[in-house]
Amino acid sequence: MNKEAPLSITERDFILNALRENVRLDGRESDQLRPLSISFGQEYGHVKVKLGKTSLIVRISSEVTKPRDDRPFDGIFTIALELTAMGSPAWDNGRQGDLETYVTNVLDRVVRHSNALDTESLCILKGVSCWSVRADVHITDYDGNLIDAACAGIMAGLQHFRRPDAVVKDGQVIVYGVDERVPVALNITHKPLSITFHTFDEGNRVILDATRKEEQAAEADVIIGMNNAGDVCFLSKFSGSPVDAMVFVTKSTVAQEKVKEINGVIDKALQADLAKRAKGGMLEESRAENDR
Amino acid sequence: MSSPLILLPGDSVPSEYLPSSNSSAPLRLGPGLRLLSQPPSSSSSKTSTGHVLAATQSGILTTDPKRNAVSLLSTPNRRYVPTSNDLVIAQVHHSSPDYFHCLITPQTPQVVLGQLSFEGATKKTRPMLKQGDLVYARVLSTGLGAGAEVELTCVNPATGRAEPGGLGPLTGGMVFDVSTGMAARLMRASSSSAENQESVDGLVVLDELGKKLEKVGGFEIAVGRNGKVWVDCANGGDSAIKATVAIGRCLSAIDEHTLSLADQKKLVTRVLREMKIET
Amino acid sequence: MVGPTTSLTPLSRADGSASYQCPATGANILGSVNAPIELPGRRDALKPEDATVEVFIKPGTAPGGVGERYVEGIIKSMLGRLVLGREKSYARRGIVVTLAIVGGESKPRGDSYLTVLPALLQTSLLALLSASVPLSMTFSATVLGVNTLGEIIREPAPTDAAAATSLHVLAFSSKGHLLLNESRGSFDFDTWERIRQRALTICHGTLSGSPDGDVAMVEDVDGQPLEGVVRETVEDKYHQDYAWKIDAA
Repeated sequence: MNKEAPLSITERDFILNALRENVRLDGRESDQLRPLSISFGQEYGHVKVKLGKTSLIVRISSEVTKPRDDRPFDGIFTIALELTAMGSPAWDNGRQGDLETYVTNVLDRVVRHSNALDTESLCILKGVSCWSVRADVHITDYDGNLIDAACAGIMAGLQHFRRPDAVVKDGQVIVYGVDERVPVALNITHKPLSITFHTFDEGNRVILDATRKEEQAAEADVIIGMNNAGDVCFLSKFSGSPVDAMVFVTKSTVAQEKVKEINGVIDKALQADLAKRAKGGMLEESRAENDR
Repeated sequence: MSSPLILLPGDSVPSEYLPSSNSSAPLRLGPGLRLLSQPPSSSSSKTSTGHVLAATQSGILTTDPKRNAVSLLSTPNRRYVPTSNDLVIAQVHHSSPDYFHCLITPQTPQVVLGQLSFEGATKKTRPMLKQGDLVYARVLSTGLGAGAEVELTCVNPATGRAEPGGLGPLTGGMVFDVSTGMAARLMRASSSSAENQESVDGLVVLDELGKKLEKVGGFEIAVGRNGKVWVDCANGGDSAIKATVAIGRCLSAIDEHTLSLADQKKLVTRVLREMKIET
Repeated sequence: MVGPTTSLTPLSRADGSASYQCPATGANILGSVNAPIELPGRRDALKPEDATVEVFIKPGTAPGGVGERYVEGIIKSMLGRLVLGREKSYARRGIVVTLAIVGGESKPRGDSYLTVLPALLQTSLLALLSASVPLSMTFSATVLGVNTLGEIIREPAPTDAAAATSLHVLAFSSKGHLLLNESRGSFDFDTWERIRQRALTICHGTLSGSPDGDVAMVEDVDGQPLEGVVRETVEDKYHQDYAWKIDAA
């Protein structure tokens, strides 16, 4: 089993001693995110996320399938995340590691179980056909805080994605091509995001958005999932040493601030992309007129 | 070198680029080049013309007429491949009766460092290194054939001394990861005497940091070819940690972006101001 | 003809990486190479004197399946012929090539990979160059389709590829050898010969001999030969990375 290289004693001690003086290796404040950039590709639902040196690509896709027997009114939404050797040489292709299971589980809880995507709206014909929406997360560079970056990417992708229009006519499902009918946006009920904190020095130091080395040196992690309104949809303290309950209370306020900040970045990127597409569409139209 | 010759694997090296010195020394090949054919050894003139060389990696062709050597500068982001005589920073993984087993690059087999390969070490005085300790060492041999072990040493086997000075365990301070290309540049910049040139290999950052950090007691630096840089401001007192972080930030910024000499100086000033260090 | 968009070393964690976008087929590939690294738990399967090449393809919007494993086999055997696995510190080690299809039309499950195969090959070559893995030579690859009228279409778009009577992927080494030939559909020898000629032109450019014996490179409808695209990408990256050295001199 390949693993990330363990930290040396020097690195571990230095990171801790520096945090005691409120200094981080990249000069950030303890509650500061790394620079976050979100951009969209040509296709709908193709998102590129960069959080410091961590980067990933999310692609949303949809296809028509049969709903699950026990939930005939619901569509299907899956999050597929696979760590490949591209993100870090420490990851093996085609083998599931602990990190992969953990991250997938948290993303599932924050985005899927909080019902951010209204799966009922994906139903086309009860018990016969529905949309299956799939979010593929490709990690391209791993430098810590995979969960928050992936979460922001998936939420941005779901808001950006457009699925083909489908109607039921005489019991038959007709799916219109993207060029036949304007594709429709997904029904998003709320915009939850996860915010990850790491604790050091017996829980006395808590930092946000840790890099890979900070993650390795940390004692424990605390994840808070919430939306803009401040509704908490996920709380976790998965492993490591104990954390004082007050950390959850005080850091929830910080988390909400950060959720608003990240959602702001996503909204801005969405608007910029929309404007770009509108412009491109007009160019297309004018060209078509010229042809005639 | 106004227009550098950039080779791709399979390209042959044009003979006019080979060093044409008439020294009797044989032509030395650096990594990334291989000899396809050489002139018959009976020929009286031992010039390098007649050698047919081909590249096996991409790279910029560089020649050193003094040493009659030709080599390729390859991509700076590549993984470190151990080569004899390189200085590296190794991390102890575990120890056995005769050896310390160390890591020099992640996801590769461990390398060995003799328990007695330290200056003045005997069975009783040898350093007791534990897992996670760092050692500044030289690559003694890379072995022959497949599966050979790489061996490190902290002494010059001929003299029994730590040469150059500083080989041995590294305590305190901090290590930063840089690219292997950056490590090679820093190595040349820190080893050459500062008086003859303003900058070496387009790097002025170390000199600039040295000048600016004099007030906090200067700093020690050790560069490993495996892409690790160890920095310590032991005399720094209260600002030791801040100064160390500032050095790390400067190095990684220059590694990621190509910066001119003037920009490097600006970067140093800016980072030191951000870290609130008096200069 | 719009040439492909390439970049060398866009990623920071992997030892080498490259991105490749072919505007005609719409393929957008990101590739990474880690080498030389230890392949754990597969020691008995390794060749004792040689490096092992591993290829992994990750489709953009679907789980990997039989189709991916099949193409991985093709790429693996082709790269295995070029990699010098006996060079220093490569023996018994692994060269892990990971290719992610990050853009382009999503393929229906089970569809052939022929149209994206050249882009996958070109990406893996660039990523190997970026990681400085020792190679005996470079190569270039292209895909050609033959439509019902018998016309050859270079790098057909998905709709053209679906309508084509036959599809051919050819790869040539930098020395002009034919390294790979994968075809699908029905065709005759004459067609294949025409395909080979055209593919060679796309990869290497035209060597047209004029009556007085002069040989000159000619840029024709196919624009810059793919071989040149690879070289230019590498040269640009070196000029950028070694600007401190090149500009100073």
